[in-house]
Amino acid sequence: MNWTAILLTLKLAALTAVILLVVGMPIAYWLTYSRRRWKFLVESVVALPLVLPPTVLGFYVLVAIGPKSPLGQGYQAVIGHPLAFTFEGLLLASVLYSLPFAVQPFTAAFGAVDARLVEASWTLGISRLATFFRVTLPLSIAGVVTGVVLSFAHTMGEFGVVLMVGGNIEGVTRTVSIDIYDEVQALNYAGAGQTAFFLLVVSFVILSVVYAMNRNLWAVWPMK
Amino acid sequence: MADEMTAAFEKAYNGGPSIHGTLRLPVGKPHVTVLFGPSGSGKTTVLRCLAGLERPSRGRITFAGETWFDADTGGQAPPQSRAIGYLFQDYALFPHLTVAGNITYAIPDLNRKERQARLDEMLRLLRLEGLDDRRPAQLSGGQQQRVALARVLVRRPRLLLLDEPLSALDAPTREQVRGELRELLRGQNIPTLCVTHDWVEALALADEVAVMGGGRVLQVGPPDEVFSRPADADVAAIVGVETVATGRVVGRKDGLAALEVGRVRLWAVEPDGRSEQFYLCIRAEDVTLEIGTQPSSSARNHLAGRVTEVRPAGPVSRVTVECGFALAALVTRQAAQDLALQPGTPVTATVKASAVHLIPR
Repeated sequence: MNWTAILLTLKLAALTAVILLVVGMPIAYWLTYSRRRWKFLVESVVALPLVLPPTVLGFYVLVAIGPKSPLGQGYQAVIGHPLAFTFEGLLLASVLYSLPFAVQPFTAAFGAVDARLVEASWTLGISRLATFFRVTLPLSIAGVVTGVVLSFAHTMGEFGVVLMVGGNIEGVTRTVSIDIYDEVQALNYAGAGQTAFFLLVVSFVILSVVYAMNRNLWAVWPMK
Repeated sequence: MADEMTAAFEKAYNGGPSIHGTLRLPVGKPHVTVLFGPSGSGKTTVLRCLAGLERPSRGRITFAGETWFDADTGGQAPPQSRAIGYLFQDYALFPHLTVAGNITYAIPDLNRKERQARLDEMLRLLRLEGLDDRRPAQLSGGQQQRVALARVLVRRPRLLLLDEPLSALDAPTREQVRGELRELLRGQNIPTLCVTHDWVEALALADEVAVMGGGRVLQVGPPDEVFSRPADADVAAIVGVETVATGRVVGRKDGLAALEVGRVRLWAVEPDGRSEQFYLCIRAEDVTLEIGTQPSSSARNHLAGRVTEVRPAGPVSRVTVECGFALAALVTRQAAQDLALQPGTPVTATVKASAVHLIPR
């Protein structure tokens, strides 16, 4: 088993999930409560990674972070090295690729919170931000956990985007799925099998924990 | 100006009728204004605009010198800064918090001791002692309503807005809670605007009634005046109760109570409780009329008076009799002709004691 690839994958997935938690909640909040007419455009953009081939998404990210793009140049000017074919570049691609897996469960969960509870909090003098943390978030915690876990699991399993954006650099961008592909290419079926089985078990355990916990959460907070 | 709330605004809906809110409320003293009208008349919209949850299309709302909304400047105070208490129709208690968590929700900035003191005060005031660890789902409807009231009262709001405060309760509970709510509101130094479509509730709670219909405030006045002397046919159709008079219990006997209404005395079924002051409500169809001043039936209440108005309404006629107070009666048009009823005719009105509905004031 390639432990370097496994640790790298776990790190990538965890960071992606954390970033999506922070970035995804404001987007989901906006999507839930905005009455702008062009909201559907944002919804479509967020959902794009669901239908785009990973290679297409990876291609555009690659171009966007390349040394000739403003983003790539700006990054190099500030940080000192290029963005393409680095862990950071891969992280950016992963965040975009898993965006719908976080934002859609968040939005569904926020939308399911009774609007009157939010209004009640506002009329009780509690600010919008505090209301979010004291009413909306506790009542949609199951959906938020689901979104975080789904984006974690989805990132663990991504292949095409990593191949396009990350290249295949040992310890930097070679994730588990790429490693398995390499092993199969090298006809090392035993090595591929071990890593694949490991990925399968980890994914299953994570999902089981989440579903078990979700049920528990509802028992703690009985809905009317 | 400084001691009142004034609202004159319009809320337009796409493709729907627009709602006009025109109200004045005294501020800083206990005063209950009931916004009365059928469902769909725009009562809740008015309440939501006053709370800042809805943005009016035109007009102005001021509260004790503060401007809450002004369409000309586009300024609108957010609900957070209005320091009001809004009681939602089905209470909107936070399901993930305990009773104590709900009640202290709005006072997170106070220190522990002060918060506990306020909580205890509210639990006592609303008779919720021992329930502080319960979740809303484990409470009865009446208890939920009291928790919701405690949650708004704990931060000492400057104005109370109640949206159909009793409609979520079953009938027996409603009866009991109505009395409690009246006592509570009288004890608080807070002006209240209460929305309801139930005239019993309106009479029981109101110092002043504003009748709404078709998106407008049609008449404002003391409850007995609005209910017994509606300004026009629209208001009359909305209030539906034909006679409302004020009276005082002067004696009780055999399960009946004698009430003094102006210079006349009426018998009614003895009410529960120890209230002395009542509204007497009499439906026009429960009043029978005879020519002359000699009653023939054995009913308790015979009231001699003179007809002041006869108004045909379809197959029946609405007759108003002045007998110490204005009493409305409903007779068939045939009977009106047979009795030759016209203004000035002396008649005797008869009402069964059981048809006199008493509502404590």
